[in-house]
Amino acid sequence: MKIEKVMEDMSRKKRDKVKELQFFDANIWLGEPDFFPIASELHPNDLEEVCSKYHLEGGLISHWDSPKISAQDGNHALLELQEYLPEAIYTIWTGLPLSPHEQDPLPGFNAPPPGLRGVRLFPKTHKYLLSPWVIGTLCEWCIRHAVPLFFWHIEVDWNHVYVLAKKFPKLNIIVETQWQKILYHNRNLYSLMESCNNVLLETSNFIGQDFITHAVKTFGAERLIFGSFLPVNDPFASMGMILDADISDNEKKMISGGNLRQIIKGVRV
Amino acid sequence: MKDLFIIDAHAHTGFPNIFFSPEIDAQAMLRRMDQLQVNYSINLCSMRTLHGYQSIELEKAQQEFEESGGRIFYCGFYDPRRWEEDIEILKKAVSQAGFKGIKIHPSFNNTPADDEGYDPVWKIASDFDIPIVAHTWSVSSYNPSQVLSTPEKFEKYVKKYPGVRFVLGHSGGRGTGRFEAIRMVNEYENVYMDFGGDIYCYQYFENMERQVPENKILFGTDYPWMDLRSHLTRVFLADISTSFKRKILRDNALEVYKLEG
Repeated sequence: MKIEKVMEDMSRKKRDKVKELQFFDANIWLGEPDFFPIASELHPNDLEEVCSKYHLEGGLISHWDSPKISAQDGNHALLELQEYLPEAIYTIWTGLPLSPHEQDPLPGFNAPPPGLRGVRLFPKTHKYLLSPWVIGTLCEWCIRHAVPLFFWHIEVDWNHVYVLAKKFPKLNIIVETQWQKILYHNRNLYSLMESCNNVLLETSNFIGQDFITHAVKTFGAERLIFGSFLPVNDPFASMGMILDADISDNEKKMISGGNLRQIIKGVRV
Repeated sequence: MKDLFIIDAHAHTGFPNIFFSPEIDAQAMLRRMDQLQVNYSINLCSMRTLHGYQSIELEKAQQEFEESGGRIFYCGFYDPRRWEEDIEILKKAVSQAGFKGIKIHPSFNNTPADDEGYDPVWKIASDFDIPIVAHTWSVSSYNPSQVLSTPEKFEKYVKKYPGVRFVLGHSGGRGTGRFEAIRMVNEYENVYMDFGGDIYCYQYFENMERQVPENKILFGTDYPWMDLRSHLTRVFLADISTSFKRKILRDNALEVYKLEG
């Protein structure tokens, strides 16, 4: 068979598979990207079109202003956009310790706003410890409202994550693999996941050969959450690792969106 | 085996040392190649090679080449800090059927790419008509040694040895090094780029189709540091022509590494 024909067949099969897996993305960013000087901003008006182009059925959006300017600036930007967001697009707000009681908008003091489906922490950037005595009251709020807690792996100390996960076993902790490679930390990561069942992993930068299959066999598909890191990364890269992984279709569906949909369904807004 | 046509121009074998990888050897690589319709891979050295065990590792790589039925080719390595020893080894290796080029890594060897110490490797590449592939990246705030491998630092030798086919591994990275890589593949006939590594940039291939000549970009994964399937899926699903996909996935590597299609 001609190579071009083989390639077209392979492309079509991959695209069909992407559609079948109904991806739901934990990791979409609005605002001007930081750290990536040649990445472009994803504008809210383009969100629907971009999701459609990559066959994303929905997802959670965050705002670069939170790590770059302030937690409140990012949250405010998301709050302003809330009523214009496409269906099945929700928000991840940025949290801070609840003491001192800082100015709004911040999660942790009132009931979650309607679109909120997650809270992210930036302990290194915002200069506090990810320790129960600093962030414990916000963790209790998250548990009360069944809100998952997200953070980039480069923002935390692995020991602190372990202590937090043990202290709050009912808290869903989603470790994100950006914005530097988590590859170089995978020995810590695997031990953490082995020890703490409430730690889940976002997959956009979980990039080593066969990491997905190995993680599913070791920890179970229920521990992995698909993310793309749009618009810095090409969503097809992280989709590709799931698409052809040596796991069952059911496990692929759990990772591609099933697990996250299940978690956010439980959020009490 | 049927429909094997893809060429992975940037792969590795051996323990990566700084992380756990479920797949590390040539047998695993070959199984993965069969599964994903990859015909040939170019092994751009193991960690042991980079640490001075080149003679033993080249023998091993040649054995892997033969055991793979001639599908896993390999490159030698050149460290300017032990140039005499490496040049001797490379001169002997060049006649081996599986040997297809020389890798240099200025960041790892802590020697900038424009250092005089690299002249012998460019000369040998010119004399024996073999390509050089280099680690290249952008200036990095968290990995300062990358400054030794930014694309423009190789320009001195690219100009001096216009007959040497030169591949910018990782295409200059994810930052401003990419602009330099694009400039150089446009400016110099002998310069190519592969996107091995986490060059997962949004709309990458759509931009490359507009910005670089179609014969200048090679499919590379950095296996097992990166999952082969991530880059493969991106190429297949990119909004670019099938003929450009074919050039990326196969034809350009055939040309650079002089492989038989």
